[in-house]
Amino acid sequence: MASLEQLKLTFFDECSEALQQIEAGLTDIRSGQGSDDTINAVFRGVHSVKGGAGIFGFEALVEFAHVFETVLDALRRGSLTAAPETLDVLLSASDVLSDLVQKSRSGEAIEPGFGSECRVALEKIIDQDKSEAAADDNSPAPADFDGIDFTPVRVDMNDAADAATALRAFTITFRPKPEMLKNANEPLYLLRELRKLGELDLVAHTDSLPSLSELEPDRPYIWWTGTLRTSAARAQIDEVFEFVAGDCDLEIVETAADTAAASAPADMEIPEAVAAPAPEESISAPPQAPPAVKPAVGAASDATEAPNAARAPAAKPAATTTRIELDKIDRVVNMVGELVIAQAMLGQIVQDLPEATAGRLSQILDEVIHHTRELKDSVMSMRAQPVGAVFQRMPRLVRELSTKTSKKVRLEMSGETTEVDRSIIERLSDPLTHIIRNSVDHGIESPADRLAAGKSEEGTIRLAAEHRGGRIVIEIRDDGAGINSERVLKKAREKGLVSPNAALSEDEISNLIMLPGFSTAETISDISGRGVGMDVVRSNIQDLGGRISLKSERGRGMTIQLALPLTLAVMDGMVIKVGQQTYVMPLSAIVECLRPSRSDISNLIGTRGMLQLRGDLVPLAYLGDLLDISTNAGTSDESVVIITDAGEGTRFGLVVDELLGHQQVVIKSIEESYGSVPGIAAATILGNGRVAFILDIEKLSNLTVSAPVAAGIARNAA
Amino acid sequence: MPNAVALKVLVVDDQNSVRQMTRMTLEEIGIRNIHEAENGVRAMETAALQPLDLIISDFNMPEMDGLGLLRAVRGHPVVRKVPFILLTGRGDKELVVKAAQAGVNNYLVKPFTAAILREKIEQVMGKLS
Repeated sequence: MASLEQLKLTFFDECSEALQQIEAGLTDIRSGQGSDDTINAVFRGVHSVKGGAGIFGFEALVEFAHVFETVLDALRRGSLTAAPETLDVLLSASDVLSDLVQKSRSGEAIEPGFGSECRVALEKIIDQDKSEAAADDNSPAPADFDGIDFTPVRVDMNDAADAATALRAFTITFRPKPEMLKNANEPLYLLRELRKLGELDLVAHTDSLPSLSELEPDRPYIWWTGTLRTSAARAQIDEVFEFVAGDCDLEIVETAADTAAASAPADMEIPEAVAAPAPEESISAPPQAPPAVKPAVGAASDATEAPNAARAPAAKPAATTTRIELDKIDRVVNMVGELVIAQAMLGQIVQDLPEATAGRLSQILDEVIHHTRELKDSVMSMRAQPVGAVFQRMPRLVRELSTKTSKKVRLEMSGETTEVDRSIIERLSDPLTHIIRNSVDHGIESPADRLAAGKSEEGTIRLAAEHRGGRIVIEIRDDGAGINSERVLKKAREKGLVSPNAALSEDEISNLIMLPGFSTAETISDISGRGVGMDVVRSNIQDLGGRISLKSERGRGMTIQLALPLTLAVMDGMVIKVGQQTYVMPLSAIVECLRPSRSDISNLIGTRGMLQLRGDLVPLAYLGDLLDISTNAGTSDESVVIITDAGEGTRFGLVVDELLGHQQVVIKSIEESYGSVPGIAAATILGNGRVAFILDIEKLSNLTVSAPVAAGIARNAA
Repeated sequence: MPNAVALKVLVVDDQNSVRQMTRMTLEEIGIRNIHEAENGVRAMETAALQPLDLIISDFNMPEMDGLGLLRAVRGHPVVRKVPFILLTGRGDKELVVKAAQAGVNNYLVKPFTAAILREKIEQVMGKLS
């Protein structure tokens, strides 16, 4: 039995869902996409919040919800029209309601005038509404109300017992024939079904059981007699045995029921085989008996229809959910991680075994690996949440920002159901908030400027999420003014972030704004730009193992793309060796691997070498140098070049000594013990039991040389 | 004089928190045999299979509201006579009238105390022992 506190928590969870529905519904109505259903759903949402709040004693919430509900009621009855101004008031009412729920949940004191501005606006709308019904009930009425001419309808308990319960008793004899089990019909299931219909008293007869040595496992030897007391219709009982009619001897006889007078049409006449059940003799009640009775039911078919119809939905498996503490899921995730490691070690040992033993063993091991992979996927999907959880805070943010900046901005969202590990969800909120703030603050122009530029008064920000190539890609696109590239380039030169002569492409200039300490805002507006620059957003995203890219079109708008891994816990990795050291790099970052010949590598001043690859020049980076490892591989012919995707469209060739193979690795964070190590993302335990570091490709590519500059040099030199 | 402990009651409400609160309140007045359903369809399934002495249903539910459920119950040959109490919100006179026409036995305004719940049940079924 749940405690009151637990129920309150449940109620607040219900409120969260309801609030979402309310906001989404009102937004749809505002944009002209609402239907009658939408307004009803919004009304129901507010009504539910009010109802529950009343039960759990949150008075302020009840009062506000009541006023809110009254306006919605007028709207759904049609006595109020859905003008944009009205919907704006309703939308801010949903914000106030949300705040009130939040405060009630956290137990914060609610100031007496909270939300009064909105409430007054709502009341004004109510006053304008001509309908009489709206004129009443502006103040909460006491728990009951008079003035209704209603008399409770008394029920005679005997009546109720007879008609409502209409208990009937049936004597059932059920004797499976030898073929029953062979025909895949299990008597036990039938008896269970029977039991669902009511009270079942069964006697099992074992007289036909042979001795153990003579027992044939696929023949039924036991048969049953019993009494079923049920209010279900005879047809329902027949239905239980529908498919085994030919496989058993069955007799169902209605005995003296409590309700001889019951005229419920569902009564079936007693079948022909009335012979009193003589358990010790086999009764060959013709298997036709049940089916024969059914047609006779024809007259009262609608009576049987109804209970069957009511049962039919039961057959449909409904999607059910349950609540689980996150700790429990995390523990399972950890265990799966350990399993993956143990499995890798097993694989290692198997490799060293002699062929004969190894053969069968590695086959089985492959199966185990396959199952573990599926297990891992299932478990990770348990931790996955829809991004909508983070997205849903954005509409309100945009509403508030556009009011503050006096700009007209609309937010469109898609892909809210795209799922991502919850550890990523939590850390997405800040970067996303900052990007959208920037968009409203710096991107979208004022209504006047937009009109002057031939755009619509209202700016649009599109927020979209989708799965792409093993990652989740989130795109924030606005139709604002884009980045002022001259200003940005000038600033970057002033700050010495870019060499004065470098010729940079539009994209490269755009990406400059993510360098640390960069801000062109003349005045640090109160909304954004106070020390939280795009560089912080970028490092937030990179810390998640993701990457961020910017694309700006002057005058048309800006698109920011975030690409994040689906999970932080387990990764497909490539094990590589440099000198004596073994590392792991994410498989997803690898474009291709090759062993180039010397002639493909050109040495250019200022670089460590460029690789000619199908007409492109790819800068090389020596892992040994980057991580300061002594290695004898200069560019020996044995070296392997891994063409690596470093994000933002840049690639480089990572030179290593050996590729050792690909393996699923469990990511173990080292930050707690070692802080942030350049070039290293985390650690893992390999199949051989040894610890290996996981490379941080983004940071490594930063370590090589800053991309725009390298590109600039490469171009100038080419 | 029905025995509270023997009464079989079905509570219908889409909000779990409200269902549980109603359950707790029913238990306060001595009723133990309580079924739950989160919507009208489930309620009908339960009603058709289990003998019930009373149905208490919220009005405000998606897809099939309390009034719809009432009508479905009253039209069903096996369960049509089961006593039905409808939970309503404050001031919903229209609803009460419609419900009366559809054959409701009593109505109850949320939020309610155990005492009021008892009174409303007794108005329909006689004093509870």
